Amino acid sequence: MDNPFNKKSQEIVELSALIRKRILAMNCEAGQGHTGADLSETDILASLYFRLLRYSKTDPNHPERDRFILSKGHGVGGYYCTLAQAGLLDESLLKTYLQFDSKLPGHPVRQKTPFVEVNTGALGHGLPIGVGLALAAKKTGRDYTVYVLTGDGELQEGSNWEAAMAASQFKLDNLVWIVDRNRLQLADFTENIMMLKPLNKKMEAFGMSVHVTDGNAPASFIETMESLPANDGKPKVIIANTTKGKGVSFIENQPSWHHRIPKGEELPKALEELGC
Amino acid sequence: MLNMDNAKDLRDVMVETFISAADEGVNLAVLVSDSTSTAKISPFKERFPDRLVNVGIAEQSLVGTAAGMALGGFVAVTTNAAPFLVHRANEQVKNDICYTNTNVKLVGLNAGVCYGALASTHHAIDDVSIMRGFGNIHIFAPSDPLEAEQIFRHALAYDGPVYIRMDSAKFPMLHDESYRFEPGKVDVLRQGGDLSLIAMGSTVHEAVAAADELSEKGIEADVLNISSVRPLDSKTILGSLSKTGCGITVEEHSLHGGIGSLASELVAETGISCRIKRLGFVEGKFAIPGPRNEMRAHVGIDAQGIVRTSMEMVK
Repeated sequence: MDNPFNKKSQEIVELSALIRKRILAMNCEAGQGHTGADLSETDILASLYFRLLRYSKTDPNHPERDRFILSKGHGVGGYYCTLAQAGLLDESLLKTYLQFDSKLPGHPVRQKTPFVEVNTGALGHGLPIGVGLALAAKKTGRDYTVYVLTGDGELQEGSNWEAAMAASQFKLDNLVWIVDRNRLQLADFTENIMMLKPLNKKMEAFGMSVHVTDGNAPASFIETMESLPANDGKPKVIIANTTKGKGVSFIENQPSWHHRIPKGEELPKALEELGC
Repeated sequence: MLNMDNAKDLRDVMVETFISAADEGVNLAVLVSDSTSTAKISPFKERFPDRLVNVGIAEQSLVGTAAGMALGGFVAVTTNAAPFLVHRANEQVKNDICYTNTNVKLVGLNAGVCYGALASTHHAIDDVSIMRGFGNIHIFAPSDPLEAEQIFRHALAYDGPVYIRMDSAKFPMLHDESYRFEPGKVDVLRQGGDLSLIAMGSTVHEAVAAADELSEKGIEADVLNISSVRPLDSKTILGSLSKTGCGITVEEHSLHGGIGSLASELVAETGISCRIKRLGFVEGKFAIPGPRNEMRAHVGIDAQGIVRTSMEMVK
């Protein structure tokens, strides 16, 4: 099974800009949204869905598909817009984001939306579930890879570290844990609230194969992902350095934009910066 | 006195059922959180070493990993002490099992006050209440070895979240071999006309013993075993309460949210004429620790306590 698009990194840069445009439009239409988080993860999601993940466009439940879990469920806006950009989601649904009984609620719900694997939103849940999925693949001889995207503030939840121990103990080299390392959480910068540094050393101490890359540069991110060691018995961690609110200067790195949306003149200004 | 000739530890029954289900081709994985001895799981581990996953002392990981294994095609079963499952991993139970609707069977071992003197960190007297708060999970509580086997067989075949409230001591049979557990059916163990004794789990034995004693005093009781809390057979419960006009609920559980609450809700909603007395642990208080039989006597859920309350109600 292959990725149905297999786009080049430069094409993914262009797709990411279109996804960002969709995010801003969708959040403005809905009047709510986690704009900062959506923009932070966009390049990672675009790289996954247009290059790295092996899946079927027509069969969301294909047994051999790679599994993707958006553990940072509040980034669901970026996720929906990526799925729509890939034609995996009916584009007209984006207008229903956050509406009553919409197929696109404010956190992922697998009963509502195709390609969503797990209902997330409470932080620290994706990695243990990813461990179970990866373990199931090992025990059944399937060769799918499990990708879990967490935030960085999310790593303050202890359940991640329980799962990290288990992933290492069970030698789950089919588990790829991507950290959207934008250094911001709801209240402030992560290091001001509860320090995560030295994150790579912590991960290594838990037995992970750790790789640091630029999560907003598809070329770097894809190169890192495509050169991960195989069959080494170690779970993979990708510390993807990102900028929260990436692509729009007045949103970037601003804690206040965790769940703000553009108002008035901010939307055209943002779109102009994105070159759309 | 209970006849213990055919008594079995419900956990042994559970493990035997796992082994025979796996033998029959059920794609079963059993997860423990260092709770190998709590679950008495060794015979399963010896037969199916690859199907037993120990995540260490990490209940959040236990439940999340089980959800992932279920999504990966397994019938995933967690087996550990009820308090650590229900309380520590509560959000994982809510989101990863119930809300995501994964095919996981959560077995709460040593529920109620099985751990007696080990005190409230080890008690689970609110597990049914908590599970009832979650939308979709089925809730079962076996009363004897035969029913335990049938509940486990049903749970493994059913596609969806299940919580099984387990007592972990030896219990004799309340049923003969013809008994068939049915989800959503109340098991009527005895028919009387004077009052309804409604019990759950191992307290069903206390209710049966009380009914025997009451019969000698000329009081005949219905005994209802609520082994299927969800789905619930409200019709049979209401039928009995309408007939007797007098119900006593018996549970090793808080008075909040267990079967006493259930029965009271049914009576209130339907407006039938019936008085209900709920026996269990007083809500808003932790249980006083001590030997389990003394704890039961203290809150009146032993046979003597049930008889005493019955005599007061059926004057």
